[in-house]
Amino acid sequence: MSEELLRCHPSIIVENTLRTAIALLIILFFWVRSLDMPYIVGLAVPLVVLIAFHYRQWKLTFIRFGETDIVVERKTLFKLKKTIPYSRIASVNINRGVINRLFGTSKLIININSGYNAVKPEASLTFEQRFADRMCEEISRRINCAEMPSFGEEVEPLVQFTTADVILHGLFSVPTYQSILGAFFLANSVIEQYRSTITQAGADLGGSLISLFMFFLLTVLPAVRHMIYYYGFKVYRKGDTIFLQHGLIRLYNISFNISRINAIKVKNTLVSRLLGRSCIEAEVVGIGSDDGRGTTRPLISILKDDAITQRLFVELVPEFIYEGEAEKQPDGARSVLIGRTIIASAVLIAVMAYPSMLAYERFASGGNGIVDAMLPYAFPLLTALAIIAIVYSVSVSLRVREMDTGERLFTFVNGILDRETVVMSYDKVQMVHVIRGPLARRFGVASAKVFLLSSTGTSSISSGLFREDGLERICEIVMERATRGRR
Amino acid sequence: MNETSVNEERPAEEYRRLNKKCMLSMYINNAITYAILLTAFLLLLTFVPQLQEPAFGPVIMLASAGMVLLLIYLIAGPKIYYDRYRYIITADKVDVRYGIVILRHILVPIERVHQVEVSRGPVNNMLGLANVNITTAGGVATISYLELDEAEKIAERLNDLINRMLRDRE
Repeated sequence: MSEELLRCHPSIIVENTLRTAIALLIILFFWVRSLDMPYIVGLAVPLVVLIAFHYRQWKLTFIRFGETDIVVERKTLFKLKKTIPYSRIASVNINRGVINRLFGTSKLIININSGYNAVKPEASLTFEQRFADRMCEEISRRINCAEMPSFGEEVEPLVQFTTADVILHGLFSVPTYQSILGAFFLANSVIEQYRSTITQAGADLGGSLISLFMFFLLTVLPAVRHMIYYYGFKVYRKGDTIFLQHGLIRLYNISFNISRINAIKVKNTLVSRLLGRSCIEAEVVGIGSDDGRGTTRPLISILKDDAITQRLFVELVPEFIYEGEAEKQPDGARSVLIGRTIIASAVLIAVMAYPSMLAYERFASGGNGIVDAMLPYAFPLLTALAIIAIVYSVSVSLRVREMDTGERLFTFVNGILDRETVVMSYDKVQMVHVIRGPLARRFGVASAKVFLLSSTGTSSISSGLFREDGLERICEIVMERATRGRR
Repeated sequence: MNETSVNEERPAEEYRRLNKKCMLSMYINNAITYAILLTAFLLLLTFVPQLQEPAFGPVIMLASAGMVLLLIYLIAGPKIYYDRYRYIITADKVDVRYGIVILRHILVPIERVHQVEVSRGPVNNMLGLANVNITTAGGVATISYLELDEAEKIAERLNDLINRMLRDRE
């Protein structure tokens, strides 16, 4: 490592200016009514000020890669000196956006192992591509204390992910409840369109368009975003490090040490389960990015055939495999869930009874078409559907939810429509809550909430209803291992 | 007798209870909360004419019943909370058991504690009570309504334990 003071690549001025200028242009677009001279000047002045501001920031920001730490110092009006010791760095990654590709640069993303600042990286530095690659390699070597393969090296991926896999992942990884909501808005949009056509009220298309917009927002947009984000997905493991590469517009090169993984989740949505596909998500701390990826947990496998997912699990994260015997929810849980269903249904009926009567009185005269004929019975129908959904969720919960406690690891299986199997390490548990409601106390069961450090700060994983002593055993093992580890 | 004083001669593995003053603090907080809610409810009834229409009668009745139930909960809650609250701090863990309707058992290994903080709201401040917030990387656990001295001692003790642990690691 050199001790000399470095600056980021000047393209950072363009990147930062563009980001702010776009926001500025959007604001001005709504204000400015014509392109007269005063308005053009009004646009140009803030742009020049912006460029000058970002130029000054670039000129006065220095980076030093020292022997023990990285120092980022900004000597502008708001001074800043950030020292990042190599010993605290959790991951160092590279990503390349459109501007980076135009200028032949890369962004070096440095994260520390912190829950407080997990979503944003500690430093995001733009350098010439080869220099960024070299620094990434050197920092990785320092933090992992071993020779590391770089992203540039040709490594045969364990499994080939095709474009079709990426498209299927984009389409079917959206949570089912979100897809249902999207479908509801789409159906509503079609019905509104149909009604406005039938009643010849051509101008009244607002409701239809809003519903269509909501459908795009809830279903189409997340699917397209996933397709762009995971395009060209590659994963491989070298030594104790997992490497991920993907991205269509912005290229993401992410690597993290296996020891940084706090939990592994095997997930599938309703449709992906019907297609026999599942994906693997890793709960890793310290891989934040300032480009919107911050709230996304890394996938080490996008939706792929269950058998291939299992193989990837075994080959990528064998540390999270153990011999265990899954425990279903006991009889007490059945009684609690049935009790809750009865109470929830009774409350729902009590709350909906009066609005149902009002709706019946109002729409009893009927109208044209099936929709109008259904309106008087809409609330009772919705109530009945909600009760069926509650009963269904209880029966699925009894069938699906499991718990398994091993020596090093433990597992919770959760989910009604979308399922997840979460394998957690006792050594990564930060805090445990064992929770007992009045019904659960009566039947001798409880649920647990396990708090972990995650890529989005903190996360909690809830269990189903199990015997209280079984859940308290998790607390005991966490304590035993923490005490043993200290000795 | 001071129920919350740190008594070194006590057996190490004994749950401690809160001071009875915690109930007073909760009653004051609950009274303030209820007064705000009741005022908002009455203002809505007075200034929204639509609510006085017969069609809204059942809704108003439901909301009034909700307010009565809330009042019962706020009156009965502090006593149950006080009776059930238990906490223990050993060399290895912080263990808190509490709850009114839903009972919670919180366990924090001392290994995972990052930061300890003593905080006081205006009501607690008036009564000489404080909360100890124990921050881990996965969230915050709180021991509530402790006497200020006790809270300071617990924070100090936890900080000592953490420092000792860090020294041992080195």
